[in-house]
Amino acid sequence: MVSLGSIAIGVSVFEFLAVLKVVLTVIKNGAYNFYGSLSVDYLGAVIIMILVLVSAMASAYSVGYLKIEMEKKIIGFSRARQYFILLHLFILAMFFAIMTTNPMLMWIAIEATTLSTAFLISFYNKPSAIEAAWKYLIINSIGLLLGFFGILLFLYPFASGGFQGLVSWQALSAGAAAFDPFITKIAFIFIIVGFGTKVGFVPMHTWLPEAHSKAPAPISSLLSGVLLNVAFLAVLRFKGVTDLAIGQAFSRNLFIFFGLLSIVVEGFFIFIQKNYKRMLAYSSIEHMGVAALGFGFGGAGAFAGLMHLIYHSLAKSALFLSAGNILLKYSSTKMENVKGMIKVLPLTGILFFISFLTLAGVPPFGIFITEFSILSAGVSAHPLPVIIALLAFVLVFAGILKHVVMMEFGEAREEIPKGEAGTLMVAPIIILVAFLITFSFYMPEAARILLHNATLNY
Amino acid sequence: MHTLTPQSLFFFETIIYASVIFMFLSKKNFTAIFLYSIQSLVIAIALFYSSFKIHSWSLMGIAILVLLVKAVVAPYFFFWLVKKHRTQFSASTFLNGPTTLIVLALLTAFSYSSFWQSLTVLAPQSGGALPLALAVVFISIFLVVDRRGVLSQMIGILSLENAIVSFTYITGLEASAGPQLGILFDISVWIGIAIVFASMIYRHFGSLDTSEMKFLKEE
Repeated sequence: MVSLGSIAIGVSVFEFLAVLKVVLTVIKNGAYNFYGSLSVDYLGAVIIMILVLVSAMASAYSVGYLKIEMEKKIIGFSRARQYFILLHLFILAMFFAIMTTNPMLMWIAIEATTLSTAFLISFYNKPSAIEAAWKYLIINSIGLLLGFFGILLFLYPFASGGFQGLVSWQALSAGAAAFDPFITKIAFIFIIVGFGTKVGFVPMHTWLPEAHSKAPAPISSLLSGVLLNVAFLAVLRFKGVTDLAIGQAFSRNLFIFFGLLSIVVEGFFIFIQKNYKRMLAYSSIEHMGVAALGFGFGGAGAFAGLMHLIYHSLAKSALFLSAGNILLKYSSTKMENVKGMIKVLPLTGILFFISFLTLAGVPPFGIFITEFSILSAGVSAHPLPVIIALLAFVLVFAGILKHVVMMEFGEAREEIPKGEAGTLMVAPIIILVAFLITFSFYMPEAARILLHNATLNY
Repeated sequence: MHTLTPQSLFFFETIIYASVIFMFLSKKNFTAIFLYSIQSLVIAIALFYSSFKIHSWSLMGIAILVLLVKAVVAPYFFFWLVKKHRTQFSASTFLNGPTTLIVLALLTAFSYSSFWQSLTVLAPQSGGALPLALAVVFISIFLVVDRRGVLSQMIGILSLENAIVSFTYITGLEASAGPQLGILFDISVWIGIAIVFASMIYRHFGSLDTSEMKFLKEE
């Protein structure tokens, strides 16, 4: 297990350094190209940076997490080995989805993430996990096939013109002005419904709470903190093409519709939740809705929407990793069974509390700023959606505060031993929360340039 | 890219449409698997015909792979699954027979509605085949939603993929060999994973009926 863990952590460090080089190249030159077949632009650089940071932390955390599970005889060594293979296949597929220059290959890569994560979700081989994985597989397969249909409609002008090769994003954008408006609208609807299933937009979200809550904690952090962003990136890329073809109004209205629906519906579910992992999963849907709302409002709202994705990824990943510590300690995912976390798991408890406050939109953390900015961006042109979103935020805040206070304070059961599980179970969470707090108060100029350029067209 | 006449296209699409309708009417898993292999065979034949007409080796290669993967290997593994778990009869549906037929009729009517008429610009010479292909897309999704059986859901998804391929064939939207191979590889992996999951489901729930899966409740 030690050598397996060392390989996993070593690979993650290498990935982090490589991606850092790529991102610095993008900031300096505007794009990173690898022999024309792989490319990273400003938007891709933001998503890939989130991917590598969260995946590095999840990999490191997995070493300690699986070690404890092996000691408790929940899994054996061969399962742990399968886990790391599937984990890195999953990460590889996400890298490819972000970096590919071709929409069809992006679709294949995102489908590959579904296939690799299906086994990770059913990792514990329990009936509930298998049920969650099956639902995930079926619903996402339908969604991605509808997305594939949308891609084919976008590629129609090229195929009908006799073009035989792989159509790149650049070529798609260059030819967008000549697209048939009705077909473009239908194509984008299929894209947002199809890839939106993967993002978790309501009403295509029904697979997400089960899948994210049944998976091992580090996988949940990757599913919520990264994979949703990769799927969101796919929708954004096609939004860019659609905007060039028929103007921004159509796609923005769709983003506002799905965003608002996701925020409102999930606000209720968060409030009534009894299972903390499911609550985190519902929260992911809600926050993807907030980001969608930001891109729907456009301009400063889009900038805030992208910032929101960053903050959400950092906070949610930290929360799911903390949830792993809580599950190992309390052996339950029910909130009523988790009391006195601040005494039993002091460090995890504090990190959990900070991350939850961030997620609830408490000032002065980043998510408060982004939610405020998004609502400000939309208030003049879309006052009603802004009011509805604001009310939903209040509901989410009340629900999250209620649940977190219940879990953090009170008297823990005496038989639960106090203390953290180990450095590898806490250090990744500390690093994620440190990034979260730092970025809430300080944004390096290079990062600001990156984010500004990434949302210029939205 | 296709070279079939409008009548041939309509006939080709009618077979695919009929196969998915009969999937709803069939009570046996064997029948549903057979109908899926018929669907895949029809698509493979259409691709073979086009490859001969335009002298394309890459398209012929794709046609061979479609025939092997979708018309031979996948049905073979589905038959194996049915025999292994003795699930000759497909699980029940959520809607009863008459209601199902009404929904099928409504979905077909919807695909022929004026809303989708503008899509005919993609294939003006296709006759009535294009709306029929769209109907197969909607009906395949309904097959996944309405059926309780794991195998029926798998066949529904593969039928949806066939429907999309037939739509692209009618509109001449087949992409080049590279993405086609990628998609075929993707479907092959999907079939393998779905079969593994089906076995896991049977092992844990004693049935391939999804209504037996009741462990995910709000806690």
